[in-house]
Amino acid sequence: MKAASAHGNFRGLSDLRLVGRQIFYEQLSFWLNPVAAIFTVGFSVIFLVLLGATGGSSRVGSLGGIRAIQYYVPGFVAYGVMSTCFNTLAVALVIRRETGLLKRMRLSPLPTWVMLAGVTGSVLVISMVQVGLLLFIGRVAYGVVLPEELGALVVAVVVGVVCFTALGIATSTLIPNQDSGGPVVGVVFFVLLFLSGLWYPLKPGSTLANISGYFPIRHLMLATFAPFDSRPGASPWDWHDLWIVGVWGLAAVAVAARRWRWAPRKD
Amino acid sequence: MASSDPAVVVEGLTKSYGHVRAVDGVSFEVGRGEVFALLGPNGAGKTTTIEVLEGFRSRDAGQVEVLGLDPAVEATSRQLRECMGVVLQELAIEPFLTVRRVLDRHAGFFPRPRPVDEVLHLVGLEEKAGKRVKTLSGGQQRRLDLALGIIGDPELLILDEPTTGFDPAARRQAWELVAGLSERGTTVILTTHYLDEAEALASRVAVITGGRIVAEGTPESLGGRDRGACRIRFRLPPDTAPESLPVAVDRTMQGAIEITTDEEIAVLATLANWALDHQVEVVNLTVERLTLEDVYLRLVGEDSGDGADSDDRDLT
Repeated sequence: MKAASAHGNFRGLSDLRLVGRQIFYEQLSFWLNPVAAIFTVGFSVIFLVLLGATGGSSRVGSLGGIRAIQYYVPGFVAYGVMSTCFNTLAVALVIRRETGLLKRMRLSPLPTWVMLAGVTGSVLVISMVQVGLLLFIGRVAYGVVLPEELGALVVAVVVGVVCFTALGIATSTLIPNQDSGGPVVGVVFFVLLFLSGLWYPLKPGSTLANISGYFPIRHLMLATFAPFDSRPGASPWDWHDLWIVGVWGLAAVAVAARRWRWAPRKD
Repeated sequence: MASSDPAVVVEGLTKSYGHVRAVDGVSFEVGRGEVFALLGPNGAGKTTTIEVLEGFRSRDAGQVEVLGLDPAVEATSRQLRECMGVVLQELAIEPFLTVRRVLDRHAGFFPRPRPVDEVLHLVGLEEKAGKRVKTLSGGQQRRLDLALGIIGDPELLILDEPTTGFDPAARRQAWELVAGLSERGTTVILTTHYLDEAEALASRVAVITGGRIVAEGTPESLGGRDRGACRIRFRLPPDTAPESLPVAVDRTMQGAIEITTDEEIAVLATLANWALDHQVEVVNLTVERLTLEDVYLRLVGEDSGDGADSDDRDLT
């Protein structure tokens, strides 16, 4: 059995190195297309700066009278994670499938799990860069109070990256061709984003909150806000919302596993 | 996996898409180090056949063994792909990476890759090593395809129309590269529309049409090319009716006579004696074997025309 495992789809350390290499080349591909990279990473930052400049200092009564910027920073952390892992990745995967890049990977010895781990690792890096930028700008430009439990924020971001990557992959399998990728993903995402209270906190129990409560976007935003929540008795660890995000992630894995295709649709 | 075993064994391969039988009981063997060409019109089942060999497509029935492994078995697919290179048409390459990076990355997938510089030299892309893929011309990208196919030093290389879109010089270079690989002991399976390509490269050719192999052999002997079927042409002497010739005429076109025969020596002797006896001059006398293209077109059931415009024509 030893020989079989040595030749099989998991070869321990050497495969982990291969994952590292994949992340490296994914990163190269991403950053060597600077226009796409800057707009992907910069969108959340620009939004934060705009909202911070126009209404960042107003107080939010429903959240214990904190400054709005304390709400926007974790909101855009969640937004950044979602747009990178869901929007950008779903569209990128459709392009890769339709242009034959996926088929080429399939015909190489690169195991599928290594390829997907490389993709996920790469969007995790991009998400972390965004989170770092958002916290930095929030702190320096608007005096945001950073969470005491940074670990809770990191966990929320990692769970969000993994689950929204799965959602991005699943969504890519539902999109028929590269021309429809951007519009489909953009509309779905922005509608949900609007419903989820990125621009203003939703009152718990309101109709909007109930509707958006079915979708994962709001739950990730609540989970990234929890470490910033300074109300007495509030826990920075929001397992309840992360759990719902996780269930969405699992559902996405099921869809992706059923519908995944390597070849262009036209084949 | 003793190396005396054939590289590829296909036995009764069948694959349908809905009601259409794309491949209908195809069988062939490819020996180690052989260059084997699959010829056939579009939709004949070439691509489906090689996709089954690649492990990219499942089969409905039949036995397939590639380098001693069943390509449909997922557990050994990685092992198989480490020994196999595939060059397909119309697969993109990451546009923003440089040529060298792309090759470096691909090399990392294989246990014993060839050195990147060596491969760059083989495909003639040394000068483009530092350039981004998106800046390459179409032909250069195809050469990079070829480079990606051989970077893993494969035992078996599958080429799907490898020189479509190449200029003549690049084509010649690709041929030399394939011949060189064959000398190294690499088994090559290629599909092509260019019959001269099959003739130049392949040690054996199979013609596939309607999902079946209709002929198989060396390019020289395919469809009985080496034996019968010879074509004799000459100009009809003035004041002579085709009926008065001593031999059976197959075709007359504006005074040009064409005879297709298995017994060219006898026909020529009869013709020569007749000409000497009657003191007529036989002008433009040519004797030629059927071209691979003539044989091919006959096999796939198309009219071969008069063959005059047939050289190097793309058959699709």
